[in-house]
Amino acid sequence: MDPNALFLQLLTGLQLGAIYALIALGLTLIFGTLGFVNFAHGALYVIAIYAAVTVAANTNFLLAIILVPALLFAIGVAFERGLIRHFYTRPHTDQILITFGLAIVVEELMKWIFGANNIPFTLPEWGSGLMVFYSDWSAVPAVPVFQEAPSLWVPFIEGFVTYQFWRVVLIAVSLVTVAGLFALLQFTRFGLVVRAGMRDPEMLRFLGINIAQKFAIVVGLGAAIAGIAGVFGGPITQVTPGVGMALLVPSFLVVVIGGMGSLSGALIAAILIGMALSFSAEIANLQQIVVYLIAVVVLLVRPRGLFGKKGVFE
Amino acid sequence: MAMADAMERPEATRTGGRPFFSCRNVESYYGESYIVQGVSFDIAENEIVALLGRNGAGKTSTLRTLARAQEPHLTAGEIWLDGQALHSMKAYQAARAGVQLVPEDRRIIPGITVEENLILAQTVEPRGWEIAQIYELFPRLGERKRQEANTLSGGEQQMLAIARALARQIKLLLLDEPYEGLAPTIVEEIEKTMEVIRRSGITTIIVEQNALAALRIADSAVILDMGEVVFRGTAQQVLDSEDLREQYLAV
Repeated sequence: MDPNALFLQLLTGLQLGAIYALIALGLTLIFGTLGFVNFAHGALYVIAIYAAVTVAANTNFLLAIILVPALLFAIGVAFERGLIRHFYTRPHTDQILITFGLAIVVEELMKWIFGANNIPFTLPEWGSGLMVFYSDWSAVPAVPVFQEAPSLWVPFIEGFVTYQFWRVVLIAVSLVTVAGLFALLQFTRFGLVVRAGMRDPEMLRFLGINIAQKFAIVVGLGAAIAGIAGVFGGPITQVTPGVGMALLVPSFLVVVIGGMGSLSGALIAAILIGMALSFSAEIANLQQIVVYLIAVVVLLVRPRGLFGKKGVFE
Repeated sequence: MAMADAMERPEATRTGGRPFFSCRNVESYYGESYIVQGVSFDIAENEIVALLGRNGAGKTSTLRTLARAQEPHLTAGEIWLDGQALHSMKAYQAARAGVQLVPEDRRIIPGITVEENLILAQTVEPRGWEIAQIYELFPRLGERKRQEANTLSGGEQQMLAIARALARQIKLLLLDEPYEGLAPTIVEEIEKTMEVIRRSGITTIIVEQNALAALRIADSAVILDMGEVVFRGTAQQVLDSEDLREQYLAV
């Protein structure tokens, strides 16, 4: 295979995986901690992209990067307090029905406010342009020259390869978000409480911990990550009311393949799915089924998913 | 009247003649099932009470109701601890008010270490023993502090469950079956722990299938039958009365 084409496909796989990872991360975090199946997670992404495109068009993009995740955090907390906490002990089917209904309401609401057509999402100047990957170290300019995006050295390609800079930004943001969330859950007191709350929420209450409040923050965090996905993914995925639902299904499969509630599982499954989509792109019919094929194979071999923990939602 | 009471039984009083702990006509349900059927009793500060009864008498349900668990849910009655109305609190608020339940299945949190289980208990005020102090009392927990808590033996898990409660400031300790399923040598160790609890003057309700073991450390006893209190007296009275033991305890 041509090394340049291979490199481009790897990048595309990573970029697709990055979007799925950001959506799946929120889903798996909420499912893992609360046992709650949130089919409205795609709708949170839709709110985020419309919020991002509106803020970016009227003020500037940097403000959107700060405001949209904060707004989504608040929406997530309100969503948990107002709706989903009443459904924790209800069957998953009830949870799916109520959140699916909510997703449709949000979709229609966005259609009503912004119309059904794609709204162009203009990239900020610093994020547009092409990134150039050179095979020759000495060819990499110290100062970006080609449309002002930075350049990188990649030893195994031939000559040079260009790739949209924003897509690389998305990959980087996704990795930083995953690492940040992992660190929050693994190395902080809050994370310890949340991880323990996943296992035995009642015992935590007996230890004086208001776990319901922590769970509201968890849903807020999941929504804020959808906010981050919206700001950085919106320019790539399109800005239409239907995009949330289109992303939800593969993202949900990513969660299932990775193992319900497993963050590292979601990340690895997202990259796996992204790569599979990228490498099957040339075979038109295969791309539609490849995600499901992977899900079937993984679940047949490991019903708990790649990194699903024993005892968590079995 | 309250003052006179206080003078006659100073150990049983704390605030304005009220007992340190009291529950009055407490009723609770598991779903539709009427489990705790109007239970009332008082406890003095520093008193250790054995809550006894046959299987299914409602002992565990009573403890869970007092700890304000969601299930069984309290439908009627009042629960007072040191002037605080537990009946209008949720479980986490009752815990902050000083109630500590050590559940019958120990409920050690899996997937995290021994020390992390203790840290969890110290997440919110008011805290009790320092973790270093806990390791002094339970050196075995200190040795295994980095070990995943669910890999401990049954006895060690019971120690951790009690230690976790001690890591919080306790006004009322609720011990549910501390000896259940433990080898005799471990029972001895837990008994030593119980002695420490006794010496620290922690007001305690202990539920134990092994009534004699519970009565050995208790000052007094409450016997439940069919969700109701059928006896309230000293531990010695139960030990002395064959009738009581035969009728309600089968020992």
